[in-house]
Amino acid sequence: MKRRDFLKQASLASTAMMVPSFLTGSSLGKLYKNRAGKILVVVQLSGGNDGLNTIVPYRNDIYYRNRPDLGIPKTEVLPVSDDLGFNPALQSLRSIFDQGQMSIINNVGYPNPDRSHFRLMDIWHTASESTEYLNSGWIGRYLDSNCQGCQSPYQAIEVDDTLSLALKGQEKRGFAMSDPNRLKRAADNRILQAISKAAHTGADEEKVGYLYKTLIDSESSANYLYEQSKKHHSTATYPQSEFGQDLRTIAQLITADTDTKIYYASLTGFDTHANQKMRQERLLSQYADAMKVFVDDLKQNGLLNDVLILTFSEFGRRVNQNASRGTDHGTANNLFLMGGQLKKPGFFNEGPNLTNLDDGDLKYSVDFRKVYATILDRWLEAPAPSILGKSFADLGVI
Amino acid sequence: MNKINHLYWRAGFGLSPDEWRQKQNWSISKALDELFSQAKKATLLPVPIIEFDREDKKSNRDAFQQMKKDEHHKVAEANIAWVGRMADPNESALLERMTFFWHGHFACRSELGKLGVQQLNLFRQHGLGNFRDLLLGIAQDPSMIRYLNNQQNRKEKPNENFARELMELFTLGRGNYTEGDIKEAARAFTGWSSTLDGDFVFRQIWHDFGNKTFFGKTGNFNGEDIIDHILAKPEAATFITRKIYRHFVNDKVDEARVKELGQLFFKSNYNIGKLMRSIFESDWFYAPENQGAKIKSPVELMAGMMRNLNMRLDQPMGLLFLEKALGQMLFNPPNVAGWAGGKTWIDNSTLTTRLSLAGLFFSSSEFTMRVKDEFEAVQSEGKMARKLSVKMDLKPLVSAITAKTPDAMTQELAAYLLPIAPVIKLNTLTQPLPSNEKEGQLAALAMRILSLPEYQLC
Repeated sequence: MKRRDFLKQASLASTAMMVPSFLTGSSLGKLYKNRAGKILVVVQLSGGNDGLNTIVPYRNDIYYRNRPDLGIPKTEVLPVSDDLGFNPALQSLRSIFDQGQMSIINNVGYPNPDRSHFRLMDIWHTASESTEYLNSGWIGRYLDSNCQGCQSPYQAIEVDDTLSLALKGQEKRGFAMSDPNRLKRAADNRILQAISKAAHTGADEEKVGYLYKTLIDSESSANYLYEQSKKHHSTATYPQSEFGQDLRTIAQLITADTDTKIYYASLTGFDTHANQKMRQERLLSQYADAMKVFVDDLKQNGLLNDVLILTFSEFGRRVNQNASRGTDHGTANNLFLMGGQLKKPGFFNEGPNLTNLDDGDLKYSVDFRKVYATILDRWLEAPAPSILGKSFADLGVI
Repeated sequence: MNKINHLYWRAGFGLSPDEWRQKQNWSISKALDELFSQAKKATLLPVPIIEFDREDKKSNRDAFQQMKKDEHHKVAEANIAWVGRMADPNESALLERMTFFWHGHFACRSELGKLGVQQLNLFRQHGLGNFRDLLLGIAQDPSMIRYLNNQQNRKEKPNENFARELMELFTLGRGNYTEGDIKEAARAFTGWSSTLDGDFVFRQIWHDFGNKTFFGKTGNFNGEDIIDHILAKPEAATFITRKIYRHFVNDKVDEARVKELGQLFFKSNYNIGKLMRSIFESDWFYAPENQGAKIKSPVELMAGMMRNLNMRLDQPMGLLFLEKALGQMLFNPPNVAGWAGGKTWIDNSTLTTRLSLAGLFFSSSEFTMRVKDEFEAVQSEGKMARKLSVKMDLKPLVSAITAKTPDAMTQELAAYLLPIAPVIKLNTLTQPLPSNEKEGQLAALAMRILSLPEYQLC
């Protein structure tokens, strides 16, 4: 048997997945709305970025005492306030900060923190209490709440091949896509053919209807996003890194007035238990260089006032360096907001208090859900209390 | 769907072609006799040891990091071996299924090979036995103890994590206890700890021997007493039964039926095997509304496909990429509440991957998706692990499918592989056919059927 030959043909035909016509008619023929209102871009620094070596308390002896090898020397820090400065790898962000398009919120966390990497990620994504377990994410619940009428799953896009918990609601899901071209190719090969051949009704709505519906939505989204990605070719030069290219994809979609409210991107590798310095600085400069181009690109297109960028990491790291010149999982951390409409640019609050630690960890002073609540309420015009399960005070940052 | 096929998808991971040929006309009671007797014969798995020198760990962080890597690798191996057993007709399908169910119920992340396998053995030992034994076992299970911080649960400063989940997720559900009950129960479990070697130890000096008031009764209760007080509530039996019903019968719960089964479970003094058998013996279990009503979990999907195709991976670590991309890594549930299941398995990315799975396997493709996080066990295998090359023996399928014409073969294959009639007209699947030989034709047809959305259901 010539395996290769029959497989070639077989794979083609295996895409002949028939789609019931009652589904094709409705979702394929619809008209796309243009972008309306404000856009949120979420950037996740995965693995727990060491906040103390990102925004450095360069006048604090306790910092240097706890980090004899890892502390960033005063002479290298880029000072941005009397006691806090940027890691030199963040050089590119300086101008954004200086122009008042960046807010830094220090000491973000939540009560009774856990140090398990996975649990921490889970809590940031679901916005749960540390004693509760939710299986939906905060952005997903935003979709559930504000997107009941929308047909499209691309109201929230994660630029990746798989979808994070943050974007999964009870009913609605965000859309995962690392590259519109690739997505389109996949859709062309598998699904478009199927639809063209499809002329069948009778899918058991209760059982298999959901799968067909998701398939159709994915297919129509792939086409739409592919077309959108071709509309505007960014002239900015983004770094070749995966993260740089992800931001480029986002910028192009935003500039093309894509009907997407929320974009989500990640930069991973921050779990620096050993030999942290080089690795973290490489990642931070990847982050900063790409963000700089991204923000400038948006500005160039007159869009920075419509975009808010949230950068977070799921936990900070311990104050003390460990024996492998790295740092272990900690708790409270800083996060960044960027955009053209920040009410409190610069530092939102004071830096971490290194004299008042909780078992070697920074204490939080800003609940991370306040940040979410502020964004939901002020930026996305969504009912924050029902999405987050309770009310949180507005931070007044946007 | 054929009742036997339905039974084996729910009580196991589907049927291999040989099993299908032999068993498709069996009576349900004959099949159940076989499933249960096979489960009784199953043995415990060999438990790996934790290899590290304690002094070394303290003094040398590199050695510690290496130990962690080695242990991640062991967990990965245990994961792969487990999926292999699910797919293997010589193993006890029912026991593997029960073990899988309990792993989802007592959801727990294991980072040391020994702890993961030890916990599987607990499920293998009591998964069809008495729920009290199982529950006590999990309360004394080092992996769970570490996962829910019971090592930090000491008289001076009780940690409520285990006590809370014991009632909220493992036995009663919210609304059947108070915050006070949690506090008191936590005191009763103080000192239930794990040694560095990963064995259970009761540390008397950390234990609170004082009186506790739990569910309105006062006494010097220990953890075992708490478990007995919990199980004395019929609500616990109903809670477990509902969870079993969701997993084995339908995500949509028939509350009246659950109540009835729960009473039976309670009266049987929590005999799990008896409950399972009475479910599988019922007519309603085979009713059309319960067939094809569940979306297969990623592991069910993959193990089932491997079983259906007599297939194994040359680089089994590749399975971990798929588990990760599809959202179900064994020994690594999202949190102690486990995998939510049902529609939560499905988004645009997972659905596309699921529908491509048969194609990936048949063409031994490279898995090119980006997956989140790095996981060390797979990284050490390098790029090879992304190559999904497989070994398939299609001869048993050729013997199991007796039809001669492509149309008739498709009919037979659909009856074997799909839980409900597909939306597609089956005869549209037969064109074009790449081969004149039966094996070649069957392979192509099987791949097409395995790529239908209906195969995602069981």
